[in-house]
Amino acid sequence: MSRNATTPEFFQASQRSKMAMLVAYVSWSMLFATLFLGYTIYRFSATSWPPNGFERISLIWPGISTLIIALSSLSFVWTRKSYVSEDRKSFVWGLILTTIFAFGFLGAQFILWNKLSLMGLFASAGVFPSIIHAFTWIHAGHIACAILAMFYLFFFIKKESFLKNKIITVKNIENFWHFLGVVWLIMFVFLFVV
Amino acid sequence: MTYVHDIHPAPKTFISKYIFSFDHKVIGKQFLWMGIAFLGIGGMMAMLIRWTLAYPGVPFPVIGQFLFPHTDGVVPPDTYAMLFTLHGTIMIFYAITPILIGAFGNYCIPLMIGARDMAFPLLNMLSFWIALVSGVILMASLFFPLGGAAGGWTSYPTLSTLIGSPGVGQTLWALAIFVLGVSSTMGAINYITTVISFRAPGMGYFDMPLTIWGLWLTAILNAIFLPVLGAGGLLLIFDRVFGTTFFLAGAAATSGTGDPVLFQHVFWIFGHPEVYILILPAWGIVSDLLSFFARKPAFAAKSTALAMTTITILSTLVYGHHMFTTQMSPLLTQTFMTLTMTISIPSAIFFANWLGTIWRGSIHFDSPMLFSLGVVFVFGLGGLTGLYLGTVTTDLYLHDTYFVVGHFHYTMAASVLLGGFAATYFWFPKMFGRMMNECLAKWHFWTTMIGLNGIFMGMMVVGYGGMHRRLYNPFIYEFMERLIPMNKFITVSALLMGAAQLIFVWNFIHSLWWGKKAEANPWKVGTLEWTIPSPAPHYNFDEIPVVKCGPHEFGNPALGEDRDFQYQTEELAKS
Repeated sequence: MSRNATTPEFFQASQRSKMAMLVAYVSWSMLFATLFLGYTIYRFSATSWPPNGFERISLIWPGISTLIIALSSLSFVWTRKSYVSEDRKSFVWGLILTTIFAFGFLGAQFILWNKLSLMGLFASAGVFPSIIHAFTWIHAGHIACAILAMFYLFFFIKKESFLKNKIITVKNIENFWHFLGVVWLIMFVFLFVV
Repeated sequence: MTYVHDIHPAPKTFISKYIFSFDHKVIGKQFLWMGIAFLGIGGMMAMLIRWTLAYPGVPFPVIGQFLFPHTDGVVPPDTYAMLFTLHGTIMIFYAITPILIGAFGNYCIPLMIGARDMAFPLLNMLSFWIALVSGVILMASLFFPLGGAAGGWTSYPTLSTLIGSPGVGQTLWALAIFVLGVSSTMGAINYITTVISFRAPGMGYFDMPLTIWGLWLTAILNAIFLPVLGAGGLLLIFDRVFGTTFFLAGAAATSGTGDPVLFQHVFWIFGHPEVYILILPAWGIVSDLLSFFARKPAFAAKSTALAMTTITILSTLVYGHHMFTTQMSPLLTQTFMTLTMTISIPSAIFFANWLGTIWRGSIHFDSPMLFSLGVVFVFGLGGLTGLYLGTVTTDLYLHDTYFVVGHFHYTMAASVLLGGFAATYFWFPKMFGRMMNECLAKWHFWTTMIGLNGIFMGMMVVGYGGMHRRLYNPFIYEFMERLIPMNKFITVSALLMGAAQLIFVWNFIHSLWWGKKAEANPWKVGTLEWTIPSPAPHYNFDEIPVVKCGPHEFGNPALGEDRDFQYQTEELAKS
């Protein structure tokens, strides 16, 4: 079926897609909310935080991660706008830039995990490092899925019809990326800052 | 607005038609086969459990020597723990869920709302295959050293941590549940979107059959609460594989501030809605079938739908009643108890509506109706006995006894199983184009009813007598020795119920090939799936139907002599 943006078919497909993604965001939110429920219980039942004499984690690499993911969100907005205006060249560059940022975020996470190990904060060292490791692992797993989705877009770039019929996909991946950015921001504030 | 439906082309090869099919009807049948297969496996495990409780230390007949050669055919204690763990897990997640939600959700939703397929057929196909992979992971766990999971279907830490279950089996259990959760969430996204977007023109929400209401509400609960279990399962996997300490406490943890009770919270935040995830489709199906076979409009159908919605909402607020014995604050226990009791109000409303529907109806006792009436009976018993467990004072005595086992089997097993059978007998003609044998179906019904009531009533009696669940041999305690005869009675009832299922299997398989050819509308009802030929064609509807009346239009005097129902595509007859 044609996905030309002016047809009723496109409008309906777009509505369905928005609805499905909304349900998916509810599900993902519940996953992360459950993790934060656990975090809240551990944190409020501890006499001090971090517990067991652990030191606070330096904000440098979590901060760099936050900066990178914020920039990647901005570049994805530019990417989507380029797609809507059918500017293929800008779109490609935007997608490449966003993907580089995405890998940069994952790289910053690897460095963070390495720093944690150097501080003795292994995943098995107690509930505090367990939380930092497990939450960032789960988030990074989702980031990896989003990167795969971006690669999916690369496969279609050369097709003539690409700039006409993939807007729903582009928007969905963009919104998923922003969603992961928001989740990271919440993790940054609650796991590292406060 | 008229919705435009994407139609994937009719499949031509065996693989695209029967294996990797996009067609919701084929996927529904795939879920049905999977569910029935797991029902057999889970049922066999139940037999082994029951045999051990009735005849402790006695070899299991016929296949015991083959299954347990090292103990001369006697079920060993560690295997017993695996059996009750996997029996619960399989029945809930791999039998009931695929049959009620996977099979009938997939099959009925598009057909009953006048759609040509689900909103996302590819997602639908993936949902089935991921569910199957999950089932394979679970069964594979049995073949690893130390065997499968043995921490109970609830898998509470510390039973489910490396200390309680050192083998790979428990890790694979958690992985299987997580993977199944992904599959079910994909299904839920599809169901919710399909119901909202693909209803036929003219079909308002209250024109939907109650079956669709039940399946839709279930999908909403699934989308919201399965990720909660998913998060718990992930953290459990991390504890077991990477050594994190979320659910370890005290001396068991390396540095010790984990919290085993947290898993219980997470499990039951999901687990209580899960009860309704399982029962809501059966409620919806029964609400429709009672009307269809009483040849009367469903009594107060809107209030039934709203009562189900209210129960769905309340089900999210009551999980704490599973945890009264975990040193919960008395203020919280009373709050959870009050909220739990509140569920009785909408439950009573729709139960009264069921009775109102059959009251003075021209009841046709065909097999779908018999099984539906069976649901009314067993759910009544299950619901009422739940009041004792939702009340703090009685729960403290009955917690973790066989009373609980009997209660939840009445609600989650008996009601849902009977609802599943009602649905199978009812939609079999539309699914396969043939009728099942009514005589065998009635034999199946009565033997099942006698068997299951013997089992679950008996369980409540021994539970009230103080018999705890999950004990390998409770009769080493002197006061329980007097419960041996009752346990034997329960086991005999279980054998009867198991034998009854052979009638069903024979009837099902025989009817697939040799059953009487089904008409388009053998039950004379007016919902949309009965307006098309049996079996339903690939595209479902030549033209998207336009809905002009509700799904339960029976006995309208303006209809004339020749029939007592009207199709949803017909204008409401007026005299």
